Amino acid sequence: MPIVGWIIIGVVVVLVIILFATYNSLVRLRNQAKNAWAQIDVQLKRRHDLIPNLVETVRGYMKHERETLEAVTNARNMAQKAVGGGVGAQSKAEGELSGALSKLLAVVENYPDLKANQNFLALQEELTSTENKISFSRQFYNDSVLKYNNKTQMFPSNVVAGMTGFKASEFFEVEVAAEREAPKVSFS
Amino acid sequence: MWEQIRANQIRSVILVVAMGALLILIGYFIGVALLDSAIAGLIITLVIWLVMSLIAFFRGDSIFLALSRARKIKRDDHPRLYNIVEEMKIASGLEKMPDIYIIDDPALNAFATGRSPERASVAVTSGLLQKLNRDELQGVIAHEIAHVKNRDVLLMSMCGVLLGTIVILAFFATRMLFFGAIFGGRRSSSAGGGQAQLIILAIGIAFMILAPIFAYLIYFAISRKREYLADATSALYTRYPEGLASALEKLGGSKAELKSANKATAPMYIINPFRKKGRAAADLTSTHPPISERVRILRSMAGGAAFADYENAYRQVHKGGKGVISPAAVASVGAVGLRAAEPEAAPREPEPSKVERTREVSDLMWKLNDYKTINCACGTKLKVPPKFKSGQVKCPHCGRIHSV
Amino acid sequence: MRCPACGNLMIVVEHENIELDYCVNCSGVWFDAGELELFLETMELEGTSLSLDDILTSPEAESAEKKRKCPICGGKMKKATVGHEPEVLIDACPRGDGLWFDSGEVGQLITQLPEKSDSQGRVITFLGEVFTARD
Repeated sequence: MPIVGWIIIGVVVVLVIILFATYNSLVRLRNQAKNAWAQIDVQLKRRHDLIPNLVETVRGYMKHERETLEAVTNARNMAQKAVGGGVGAQSKAEGELSGALSKLLAVVENYPDLKANQNFLALQEELTSTENKISFSRQFYNDSVLKYNNKTQMFPSNVVAGMTGFKASEFFEVEVAAEREAPKVSFS
Repeated sequence: MWEQIRANQIRSVILVVAMGALLILIGYFIGVALLDSAIAGLIITLVIWLVMSLIAFFRGDSIFLALSRARKIKRDDHPRLYNIVEEMKIASGLEKMPDIYIIDDPALNAFATGRSPERASVAVTSGLLQKLNRDELQGVIAHEIAHVKNRDVLLMSMCGVLLGTIVILAFFATRMLFFGAIFGGRRSSSAGGGQAQLIILAIGIAFMILAPIFAYLIYFAISRKREYLADATSALYTRYPEGLASALEKLGGSKAELKSANKATAPMYIINPFRKKGRAAADLTSTHPPISERVRILRSMAGGAAFADYENAYRQVHKGGKGVISPAAVASVGAVGLRAAEPEAAPREPEPSKVERTREVSDLMWKLNDYKTINCACGTKLKVPPKFKSGQVKCPHCGRIHSV
Repeated sequence: MRCPACGNLMIVVEHENIELDYCVNCSGVWFDAGELELFLETMELEGTSLSLDDILTSPEAESAEKKRKCPICGGKMKKATVGHEPEVLIDACPRGDGLWFDSGEVGQLITQLPEKSDSQGRVITFLGEVFTARD
């Protein structure tokens, strides 16, 4: 075979290898984003599971906070119902739950006995950590989506992505206002 | 994942290759000077290196944990630490939860080990758990998880083996050459050959003396680079560089020295377990960059938590010059904001005070060491060691007698 | 931990969140440096006169008393004086691991009426408080 033939074969082999490698990394990034999404759900569910315990522990101490407690329980039930109801609905419900929870935790300041309760302290650590885990998994999900989207949109991997049907994913937008709003404690 | 790590490691890999070249040269000189066969020298060198590498690769983490007398803990032993590790596991996208170890030592330090992200462990000293608050601990754990994610543990243990092999071979070879030259007969009969051999011998000895020094310098350079990268990655994971900065400050201010550390294991820790007073700022013979500089860089990260922000902060602290993170790695991370400062009214989890943290940790250590706790009715607690002989103990506060 | 005076296993006594090592055999007390620091911090008396550093930098007190070994580092401890009228001789680890009070020394110290304001006084009062039922 003439030398040109070998060169052509070589180039084709290299191209095929690049194609496969790019395809594989697209698959990996997409799976990573998927797993990250699943992790958010795990942590949200964990929060839903913790709340009845928290309300139960707190109830005995907080005689005058029926409304705050009910708000938390209601928000929790709403959030649980919103599971699987789309990103928008879910993040809205979770945002409201976060708001109700931080109101409850603000009120705790008025109950020194409660703050000394070991059971409550343990629950509070779990709850704080779960909140952190939710935001870290969201952070990792968004990082993963960013990398994946870059790969599907930038040359040359976008060619492979176009050929094999990889599409850009959606970011998990936090409704910052609902999530981060400081609770307004009123003593009226 | 590999794209990022590869990009970060290109410069490190060049340095590792340089160390490898040193090792091969040593093998060659040993072969020529002592065995009359370059091939034999190379084979011996490679066999020693291979055996040490295999041990380090397969047993390195357990040997290291045993050397530092670390105790494995479960979730219930210290829920806060476990949660923080899990948070960082999630933030870094690590697939498997690392094992958590505690070292019973008042010094403030931490390390990560394990050859791959699937087989990782993090260890912290009990002193660290007592002195750091949640944000600070999170920064330190993020730094350790970053070492795992960036494959630094594997890289540094392989470098350590290379270094160790070079040092050991050079040590024995120089002595053998030296005594061989004094007491040994001349191997070559012709005068001209003897002179040529003498020159080679001289070069060989000089090289044997210099090689370990070069190897050390390369090793330290790699180690320092990985520390900067781990700091940058920690900021990226937590979105809160201040946590690590303030932790490093506390670590730097602590006087206690880690009892179970030695020179070989030093690069594994978050800060150098050995410190001398008045060390020069850019000391070539240190495994870690100076703490004050690391803190300054972290505190200069004004705009965000991305690698690009760390890179800018590094340049700012160093007044221009070359950066520390490879451009490919910087590009792999998009713009990343910092964690919003907590609004004043937001109820943060009330932090356990330092006293409470101390009791929490010391009680854990007593438990791990099988101490029995007796709660006396007067409020005093008696903690009795497992080998305590007498069956009774009197409370020194109120005089009540308790059976053990 | 072994008692530096008689070699018996010591127990840990936790009182008001501060841990002391106590020998049930000879009634000696080890006040660990970390706990001492913690104690002074809770008293908001950090850096006052009974911080270990002070005792360590003070010249060694002359004494015929037998040298003891630090139960933490094994090094020889130096003699130092605390309290007033009479001054009581205690042992301090030169590496800064902690302070050792022999049984008699605790007894002498807690019969003194310490000036409550300074940290020496606080430590002495605290020792007296913890070991009200010692032999």
